[in-house]
Amino acid sequence: MAFGATLASILSTGLAMGAIYALIGITYNVMYSTSRVMSFTAGQLGMLGGVLGALFTLRLGMPLLVGFALTLLCCAVVGMVTEFVAVRPVLASLDQHLYVLSTLALALIIQQVTAIEWSTEPQAFPRLFGIGSGALDEKFWLPVVACAMTMGALEWMQRKTLVGRAFLAVAEDNFAARALGLPERNLRIASYALAGAIGGIAGYAGGELMLAFFANGAFLNFYGFVPVALGGLGNNRGAIVGGVALGIFQQAANFLVGGIFASVAVFVVFIVVLLAVPQGLFGTSTARRV
Amino acid sequence: MTISRRTFTVGSAGTLGLAAHGLLKPAFAQSEPVKIGWLAALTGPSSAPAVGFNRGVMYAVESINAAGGVKGRKIELTTRDTQGDPTKAVNATQEMISAAKVHAIWGPTNSGEALATTPLMARAKMPNLHPCVVDSLIDTGKFPNAFRMAPSNTQWDDAVRNYALKILKAKKVAVIGDTTGYGTAAAKASVEACKKDGAEVVYTAQIDATQPDMTPDMLRMKNAGAEAIISWSTSTGMAARLFNARAGLNWDVPFVGHPSLGSGEVGTLIEKPANWEKVYTINYRSCSFDADGKLPARTQEFLDKSAGKIDLKDTLLWWVVSGVDVINLLAKAVETTGSTDSEGIIKYLNGLNKYPGLFGSYTWTPTEHNGYPTDEIVMGLANSSKSGALKLAPGY
Repeated sequence: MAFGATLASILSTGLAMGAIYALIGITYNVMYSTSRVMSFTAGQLGMLGGVLGALFTLRLGMPLLVGFALTLLCCAVVGMVTEFVAVRPVLASLDQHLYVLSTLALALIIQQVTAIEWSTEPQAFPRLFGIGSGALDEKFWLPVVACAMTMGALEWMQRKTLVGRAFLAVAEDNFAARALGLPERNLRIASYALAGAIGGIAGYAGGELMLAFFANGAFLNFYGFVPVALGGLGNNRGAIVGGVALGIFQQAANFLVGGIFASVAVFVVFIVVLLAVPQGLFGTSTARRV
Repeated sequence: MTISRRTFTVGSAGTLGLAAHGLLKPAFAQSEPVKIGWLAALTGPSSAPAVGFNRGVMYAVESINAAGGVKGRKIELTTRDTQGDPTKAVNATQEMISAAKVHAIWGPTNSGEALATTPLMARAKMPNLHPCVVDSLIDTGKFPNAFRMAPSNTQWDDAVRNYALKILKAKKVAVIGDTTGYGTAAAKASVEACKKDGAEVVYTAQIDATQPDMTPDMLRMKNAGAEAIISWSTSTGMAARLFNARAGLNWDVPFVGHPSLGSGEVGTLIEKPANWEKVYTINYRSCSFDADGKLPARTQEFLDKSAGKIDLKDTLLWWVVSGVDVINLLAKAVETTGSTDSEGIIKYLNGLNKYPGLFGSYTWTPTEHNGYPTDEIVMGLANSSKSGALKLAPGY
């Protein structure tokens, strides 16, 4: 295979996986912004996007648009359930980090139920548009387009809509936002629903590449967290840069060193970056009042 | 009649002696059901084999009971879903031994579970038949009660290697496994055996089965000059991605290996049917169509008899027929020995020589409990599944 083709493969797969990681990173961020909780259900929402997409469209034979809308709706509901079941009960003791246990437990439940009810083997995901082939196949560019559109929509919402500004207000200082009369609890539920939908988009757009597989949840939880740490907690643009960098570096490492050594290479770089810039590449360290 | 102390003592001793020899067992012991424990991973990861085995088991139990049972004794099945979890398998084994008091146990069906349950059954001297491939599970010194009725991993490896080196005549091979314990161990053993047989192992790797694009590994194998790829992974997703990546490189190198290469699920994951060509997977003579498209007479007879009673669409025929064989074997053991005594069943199994089962001809001796003959393991065309059976791979 010529160098050009190898480069095309690194870029196509790397960008696609990077976009999926970035969307999961944004899922983490959106949930974090209103609750200060790192919910480890983010990857499972991505997994559900793929599984539900295959369920509605392939198994139940629904039209693409209906299947897509239902997938996002279901993922939004799972996001809201996360807020009710795993986040709200432990918000009072946020400093004890109980949310790690509660969100991980819920993530495990989602994964096991999917394994039992869906399948323990990867299942086919429908070919959505049938456009492109080789390095320009839709399975590579769909996640990139989905990521760009999601980011654009989020930016628009935060800048142009009242709800978006309210989200920002709660993310900045939820006590002050509540004092000003903003419905903090409802906004938190809405942000979890939004995060669920974004996770669903990640899984649906990446379904052709990752297939409808219950184990994708743990995989995405893990690799989706890296862009958050690299890009800075709560920083969506940072998550995109971190995600894309991770995807391309990972695929390049697959070519250069291969197999399990590629994962080792990825995490060596990850640790080195965090040692050099603990707050992430685009994060800002906040001053602490004393 | 007066009973003296001496008469009473002699009479009591005689009665106790007879009881000890089992001659005075209560009548209900001869009419109680033949109790068989079935440790089946019917749900959870790796449940596909047990689901297939279970169809054969249920069919055989129903057939024998409908025909009047084993010398009038019905077969009673105690099934426990272990979900592939060794802890659940251990608990179920204890229950079967202590509470259900079964006469023999079939399963578990995963090696990880069997590693945990086999010593328990050995302590209880429980006759145990299982299909698990890990070599160390069979040891007549440690586990004289355990009998394997499927090939061991070494037998699989021999069959795969022989096909790649002798029939495909590959001199340079790539050996890959997934990152599970099984994939790692099987690939390592395969590499050593290939080298011993004079082949050049040009590439070996543990591949993460969730990796969405297998092009990097395939490219390295191609650049290394591999003439055949030996694959040890249970992951159907990994298999399909490898085949898709091979097509993307316009490479027609043959794949030889684990039965999962021929799983029906692979067919739903490949990008086009042609990507599944030149893939040869472990199969068995009893479940192979010959060049004329015919199954062996014994297998065909069974299929005709069981038509409409067993669903073969989404399973492998060898799983089903070995489930049938197990029940028939245990029934035969009870019928021949006239008892459900564990020692009797073990002795019967130890004396079997080419027992004509549906899956294969089993031979066990007191010192060899690997009962499946290596020469009945063949390679099948992975993409040729019909009723759970495959076409023989070219070269036989």
